[in-house]
Amino acid sequence: MESTEKRDPVHGAPPDEGDLVTTTAEGAEGPISLEALMAGDEKAFEQLVMQESARLFRVIVRIIGDDDEAQSILQETFLQAYQRMSTFRRESKLTTWLYAIGINLARASLRKSRRISSLEDQEVERMQPEFNRGMFVDTPAVWDPARVTELSDRQQLVRKGIDQLPEDYNSVIILRDIEEYSTEEVARMLDISPGAVRVRLHRARGALRKLLDPHMRRMPRN
Amino acid sequence: MKFLTALKTALGLAPGCEKVNEFLAEYVEGALDETTRAHFEAHMNMCKCCDHYLDQYRQTIEMTRQVEEIPVPAELAEHTLAFLRKNANFPSSPQG
Ligand SMILES: [Zn+2]
Repeated sequence: MESTEKRDPVHGAPPDEGDLVTTTAEGAEGPISLEALMAGDEKAFEQLVMQESARLFRVIVRIIGDDDEAQSILQETFLQAYQRMSTFRRESKLTTWLYAIGINLARASLRKSRRISSLEDQEVERMQPEFNRGMFVDTPAVWDPARVTELSDRQQLVRKGIDQLPEDYNSVIILRDIEEYSTEEVARMLDISPGAVRVRLHRARGALRKLLDPHMRRMPRN
Repeated sequence: MKFLTALKTALGLAPGCEKVNEFLAEYVEGALDETTRAHFEAHMNMCKCCDHYLDQYRQTIEMTRQVEEIPVPAELAEHTLAFLRKNANFPSSPQG
């Protein structure tokens, strides 16, 4: 609500959602002033580091799967953000902009040390349900709620599945389904359209569903 | 009612499974407009395949949400601040 008069008059296109423009970021020690950050106030930036480090670190670790590398990417992210603060255009939340920097660095690092055993895009395509004349070819099985809750290695199974997804699918699952950012925020973080976020998300979930399916089916009774 | 929906689907007037499937992400997000959602739900009500698939889809999202937490190293933010002081002319903290 406070955002209306704060919208950048130069880059005047209003964001799709009202809450994408924010003048403050809530922290444990109270809101951080965006004006102070933009003016290069180190105290305000320090507060931003204290507030966002843990969550951003978790996102980076999930993308690249290496704690030490994630720490140095996190540091580099804040360094770049500090140096580039004047380029922040207020078309998104400051944290969205910050995460976009971190995610870009994480993905660049990933490309350098290409993970093995990741699925190809075509494999993700083949893991989607099959249709004939617009109708399901096979009836999807009923998953057993008991197996879903009791499966002891469920978390590991899901994590392995997510890790196997190609980079584009992996990042939308992490940001949308694990971190629960809105579709609009994820779109801005990844610099793609909200429609593209939904398409990738849908395929990623379809592929995960396929990986989980054999473990979740109701056991035949004896 | 179900018969009518089935007939419409057969005649290509209502969405089939494949079309319905394309809208799943929007549907679970509550992003479908009223008319599309009504078509979607009419199909779900008469199609066991799509109903089962939606159930699996929702459980997949739920399980993804419950994936294990990533442990955060102690003094993570402090290390970042130390790095910034070294590399970005960031002033020393008054506390030391
Ligand atoms: Zn159907």
